[in-house]
Formats: sequence, C-alpha cells, structure tokens
Amino acid sequence: MSGVRDSLGRVGYDLLSHALGECRNARATGKLRVSGKPGGVFHLRDGCVVAVESPGAPGAEARLLRSGRVSGEQWAELLREASGARWPEAGLIAHGYAGAAQLRVVCMMAMQDAAFAVVAGDVEACDPLDAAFEPYAPVVLGETPGRLLQDAARKLAAVAALPRPVRPDRERPVPAVVPDEIRERLPPPQKELLAHADGRRTARDIAFATGLGAYTVTVGMARMLGEGLLELPAESASATRVTVRDLPTGALRQRPAGAPPALDPEVFSALSSAVAAGESPPPEPRPDPLPRSGDTAPVLPRREPGANAPSLPRREPGASGITESLAPERAGVSWKGFFRLRHRIWTPDSGT
Amino acid sequence: MNHEALAREMRELREQVPGITDTAVAAADGMLIAADTADVIDPESLAAIAAAGLGIARRATAVTGRGAFRQTVTYGSQGLAAFYAVGDTALMIVLGDEGIDLERLHERTRPALGRIGAILTGTGPDPLAGPPAEPDPLAGSPAASDALVGAVNDTATEGV
Repeated sequence: MSGVRDSLGRVGYDLLSHALGECRNARATGKLRVSGKPGGVFHLRDGCVVAVESPGAPGAEARLLRSGRVSGEQWAELLREASGARWPEAGLIAHGYAGAAQLRVVCMMAMQDAAFAVVAGDVEACDPLDAAFEPYAPVVLGETPGRLLQDAARKLAAVAALPRPVRPDRERPVPAVVPDEIRERLPPPQKELLAHADGRRTARDIAFATGLGAYTVTVGMARMLGEGLLELPAESASATRVTVRDLPTGALRQRPAGAPPALDPEVFSALSSAVAAGESPPPEPRPDPLPRSGDTAPVLPRREPGANAPSLPRREPGASGITESLAPERAGVSWKGFFRLRHRIWTPDSGT
Repeated sequence: MNHEALAREMRELREQVPGITDTAVAAADGMLIAADTADVIDPESLAAIAAAGLGIARRATAVTGRGAFRQTVTYGSQGLAAFYAVGDTALMIVLGDEGIDLERLHERTRPALGRIGAILTGTGPDPLAGPPAEPDPLAGSPAASDALVGAVNDTATEGV
C-alpha cells in the first residue's frame, strides 16, 4: 500500500496548486476545470473558492437526498418552485427540510470533501479559467485556494498514515468473517459500512450510497481494514465477478448491410405500445386490434420495403404488460368498454 | 465469443469511470449475455427493459429524423441508466450514481462498444485476448441470412 503514501502525485498537485494560486492572485471569478480521475470543477469568486464539484465526492444535493432528509419527489418539487435554479436553497429552508445554518455546513463540507477527492485522485491538467460563474451550492464566504488545498492534503496524509490506507476510488473491500457478537456491538456507522462493502464498491461509491463524505468513508474503511472487519479480496476473486453466458451459437451475427431491420415480437409489442398511445385521437373508436389466434405469436405488420418513412406500428392494447395500473383492456373493446367497466363497478347489485 | 475479453471490457469500464455501479450486455432481443451487477439488480429484467427501451428510442430517432441512434440516458434523483446500442445486434447497459461524469462515461464507453461488438460477433481483432473465437458452425446456415440478433433471436424470428 506504499502507493498511497506517495499518492499525492506531486506533479498533479503542484499543477492544481499553481493554477488556483494564479486565480487567487488575479482575484479571478469563474470556474477552473480540473481533468483527471476523478477530476472536478473549482468555482471561484474574487480569487476565493466558493464551491467544488467532483464525481469523486457527493455534493450537497446527494448528501441531502441520500441521507433521507429530502426525498426525490420533494427535491423535484423544490426545483419546480425554484424556477430554474439548480440549488433550491430558499425552498429547502422554507419547507423546513434544513435550516440555513445546516445548509451552510453541508455546502462547506461538500466543498472540502470534493477538494479532497480531486487531490486524492489523479490530476492530469487544469483548463484555463472559464469566466462563466455558475457555482452549485456555493458557500457564502469563500475559502482561499491555499487553505482548501492544505486541508485536502492534510486529510490525504492522515489517511496515508493509517496502518491499512486506502484510496477513495480504488480498493473494493468485502466484509471479513467476524463473529456475530462482535458484529452486533459495532457502532451504526461501521455496520452501515459493512452492509455496503460488497466487493464492488469503493469508498467513494459508499459515500454516494450513504450520503456521507468521501473522506469520512475512506477513513472508516481504512480503519476497518486495519481492525480486520473488512478485507480486500484476492485479485483473482474479483476478476470472476462478471458472469458471462454462452450464446447458443457461440457468437452474435451482424445484420447484413441493407437488410431491413427486423424486431423481436416482444420488443416490437413494447415499442408499439408506446407509439400507439398517441396514434389515434381518443374519441375515435380504435381500429380492430390485431387478430390473435390461440397460442401462436401475433401477426406483426411488416414494414413495406421502399416506404420512405417507417410506418408506425399498431398494437393490441395492454400487450406490453406495462399497463397494470390502468384498467385492463380486452381484445375488441372500444370506449364502450370503459362505460361497461364503470357500470360494473358502480352497479349496487354487482357486489363490488 | 471470448468470455474473458468481454468480462475484462466491462470491468475496465467500471474501473475507469467513477460512478459506474453496474454494467450488463444483452442481445438486442433482451437476452442477457453478461452481467456485472450488484445483488439488488435483476440483470434479466434489466436486459429486457433495456431492449424494449432501446427499441423505442431507436424508432423515435428514426421517425423524428435525428440521424443515427447513439444512446438513451434515463435520469433519476439517485443516478442514471444509460443504454447503448452495440451495433445492430446487442446493447450495453451502464448504471451510475448521481456523481457520474456523463461526458467521461460516453467518451470511455464509445470505444469499448466497438470492442464489445467485435467480441460478441467473434470478428474483431482482440490482441489482448489472443485469437478470436471459433467461427460458429451455424453462422453460415441459410436461416442466418436475415438474423438480427443471431441465434438468441433466431427461434423468435423464425416462429413469426
């Protein structure tokens, strides 16, 4: 694990530090895109960093949503109310989902965590500053780039100093075989980490799954590896995780060029159900549905060769099987069927 | 078909792009070929849904005159599902969390799709995996002339 100790990647770090330092000196406003893995975007105002976004660390939105504080539906509603704003701060406070001070803390933690993720990863290049200033979930008082990077480097050094250091985006541990009584006595955060460590997730992945910080999970994972609660699977074990099936003929065949595309009936019916929904105006009675004979597959309309526009497919309603929330239609029903159904439901002697 | 090469492509893609949680490859008719998915995901259902969705999207691209179909991406509040066509015969599914960098995903996926297509058809050169898979004994049969998705779909095609 010596790779972690020198993982600061001096060249990349210096590159980032230099680019941000220049922005600081010029009191620049805009966004600095850092390419690499995971890379990220630093948003600056007057030379101070007010927000950092990175695929390597959950942002403020992910933290609120994944922690369960706000549901996906509530978030969508907030965005509608915010009339175009990406970060619905006022709505979050107005609806009582979070206090103003809490949001400030969440934004600051998200910014510092994203900076940590960028520094802990590989920095390949820094693009020239883009003057567009559109920070996501910015902090009120910006942080100087020097302090932000120092904080990130300090955290990285702290992880590297642990007995079993891990990188946020590399190791994918599995739970070790631990007696149940020990497992039961673990504090909730460690239990949660154990539950999410399935050999597929890195610390970064678990951070996104739980809404915790990437640094928090990285440290927790490293400690649990050191305590023997987690272990890293052998390379060969992780290599067998992808299950591949044999094809009956060994390989797929390419369609000859120029051949009309044919569709599998099941795909066709699913496709048809979506297209046919807007095919005819609702008041018109539907054209006769496709005839079905017993158990044989439905006769599908074939596209006329040479027709310029692909003809829209017709379908039997409900054939897709995705209409379970709607009243089930039967073959040959028209709009009368709806009234029959209503009659059936509302007749007092129907027993319903 | 070279199983190991396909598994390696899928694994490498997940390792290259932070935020990819699951990947799967299926034939265009929804028959699952390979899955690198978590336990909570049912890869069979995922493959079937992807095939239906991709069929609709492909058709939508055609009837609206949007040129060659590329991919569909479905967004949720906790991530996304991207469905890519692998040639005419197969598809690839990539699931990601909300942190995934979509540009990077597309950038890394496109070259992988070409290689995966070559692996599936057993045609493309695969220097890392040695010689391509043995040619399929049924590949030259008359029934294969109009095959869209190869043998997986042959029975369905012939049955209609």
